[in-house]
Amino acid sequence: MNGSRYLSSERSSFIPQDTTGDAVTRAIVMQTVAGGQQQEDLVAAKNHAQWVANPPLPPNEWVDSKIYSDEGIFNEELEKIFKKVWIPVCHESELPNAYDFRTTTIAREPIVIVRGADNQIRAFLNVCPHRGMIVERRPAGSFLDGQPSGNPKRMTCMFHGWQYDMKGNCVFISREKEGYQDRLCKDDIGLRRLRCEVKFGGFVWVTLEDNPSVSLEDWAASAFSCLRKTLDAEPLEVFHYHKAIVNTNYKLWHDTNCEFYHDFMHYHNRVTGFNDAYFARKNEAFEHGHIIVGTFEVNYDKYEGFESRAELSFPHLPPNQWYMIDLFPGMNFNLRGSALRCDIVTPLGPNKVMIEFRGLGLKRDTPEERMTRINHHNSIWGPFGRNLHEDLIGVQGQGTTMLPGSEDRHILLGRHENQTIHDENGMRHYYSEWAKWMNRQASDPSKPYERPAAAAAE
Amino acid sequence: MENTNIVRDAIYRATMLLDGQKWDQWLDLCDDDFKYEIKSWSPEINYDMTYLQLDRKGLASLVKLLPMHNTDHSPLTRHTTVYSVDVAEDGKTAKAVSSVVVYQTMLDGINSHIDSGESRLFLVGKYIDTMSIEDGKARFLNREVRLENRRLDKGSHWPI
Ligand code: FES
Ligand SMILES: [Fe+2]
Repeated sequence: MNGSRYLSSERSSFIPQDTTGDAVTRAIVMQTVAGGQQQEDLVAAKNHAQWVANPPLPPNEWVDSKIYSDEGIFNEELEKIFKKVWIPVCHESELPNAYDFRTTTIAREPIVIVRGADNQIRAFLNVCPHRGMIVERRPAGSFLDGQPSGNPKRMTCMFHGWQYDMKGNCVFISREKEGYQDRLCKDDIGLRRLRCEVKFGGFVWVTLEDNPSVSLEDWAASAFSCLRKTLDAEPLEVFHYHKAIVNTNYKLWHDTNCEFYHDFMHYHNRVTGFNDAYFARKNEAFEHGHIIVGTFEVNYDKYEGFESRAELSFPHLPPNQWYMIDLFPGMNFNLRGSALRCDIVTPLGPNKVMIEFRGLGLKRDTPEERMTRINHHNSIWGPFGRNLHEDLIGVQGQGTTMLPGSEDRHILLGRHENQTIHDENGMRHYYSEWAKWMNRQASDPSKPYERPAAAAAE
Repeated sequence: MENTNIVRDAIYRATMLLDGQKWDQWLDLCDDDFKYEIKSWSPEINYDMTYLQLDRKGLASLVKLLPMHNTDHSPLTRHTTVYSVDVAEDGKTAKAVSSVVVYQTMLDGINSHIDSGESRLFLVGKYIDTMSIEDGKARFLNREVRLENRRLDKGSHWPI
């Protein structure tokens, strides 16, 4: 380990060399550098009272860090939000054949997704109604094969051998008559079925709520409208999966996906992005707390070793576009020209989140095309890619300062830049939705939600 | 030295150079046509995944640009054991399979006051190497790092 290696003179080239000709970039980067120096000279550090005082911004422009660290609020979020909304749990290509299954979890409830003989994808609680065993333990597989305690084409609970068909009906109870006589029969038993739909590019959406307040279509169609034609043009296929479990709050991960101001942290994005078109990208807010970040053309070849993605653009898109769809309460669809990324958060505690990362291409890709897409995806977003590592260090660092029990503080979301890329209106929009579902103000969670005054609305 | 030992020696040298982050010296052990891949089989999506794929030029760019990136600098220590070396009949190439376990000794990744100095298991996998043997020297033609891990948490900017 050689620490000094990272303090080499190359570090001083903070201003991306290749974009210094661009007036906007130069102005903004120089301002930042100069601003940093000025601050040191002119602005005093704060004592405790000053540090905890409200910032000179309206209360919808900060949140109380308690919403990231409080166990009670976390449990309430699972009940009031995660058990009520539509969650994309996997992609249809992960269950290509009849009897294929995939398991997942929403709000601590284990779930199994199966493709029936009729090709329909259905979702059930992965819980045996007998004595509560998890029915299927594997992450994925096929029910075509028999199990040590069950038959082919059945979901079998290994514990006492009860069996269920692909529609969740109980079709076998071991020694049924002997034990239950006529008091309980198979018809009285069944798996708990969940609402499940395949939509928006073939993702499998599930909700634990039998009567969701809005249909899946109404829940997300407006946010997906920028990419719907592209994602629904032809079947997609997942080629990448990995997960991270990070000691941070799930909303901090979603915030990172919603704000692009942190591109200052990504050398790759500074050199390939910072230009007039980048700074003109709009954050657009949609009903139900979703946002999108509009597209522009990325100059991948400005980063040594990278190439243009024009050849393999997703259907109906001009070359090298970059769209970002952020769905409340923590799902993200990110299309960089040739590869689609989807992040799904599973909150595990106020300070613990699992993030599942998927990469997708077109199902009809040739092996060569697929490999190119995989490389495009991984060079930035893979576990050994340039940006994802930086994003995860960032949210981990926030988690480190917001442990349960640490002092509550203000987290600012107050940037206004005409709703362009470094405006923080996306996060403000998210937290106004969060406040409604939770009936709490994000800036002071002890207070009930108040509809914002018209002037303060985004 | 016997050919199997030459191959073994090159794999162990590569391990030490990678641990020492002597990226250029590591690349000196590699052929101009060197191909590097990090792969993993995912039972979740039933797919043989590629996490990283680079040729020698791509690797050279990657290591050159490392100082421009924000990185978890917690050093990695690879424990490599060469399991098998199969030298081709003509003695010019060899295939070697090694077990590799990578430990991460925490430095600046989380809260250094609490974690720094603690070693954690980071990666478990194999090196599947193809080597050329010439004039008593082995060079890497191909390295596949085959990981078991699909939970990778913060991941890494560094070649493994
Ligand atoms: S718990 Fe499932 S069969 Fe008994
Ligand atoms: Fe990022």
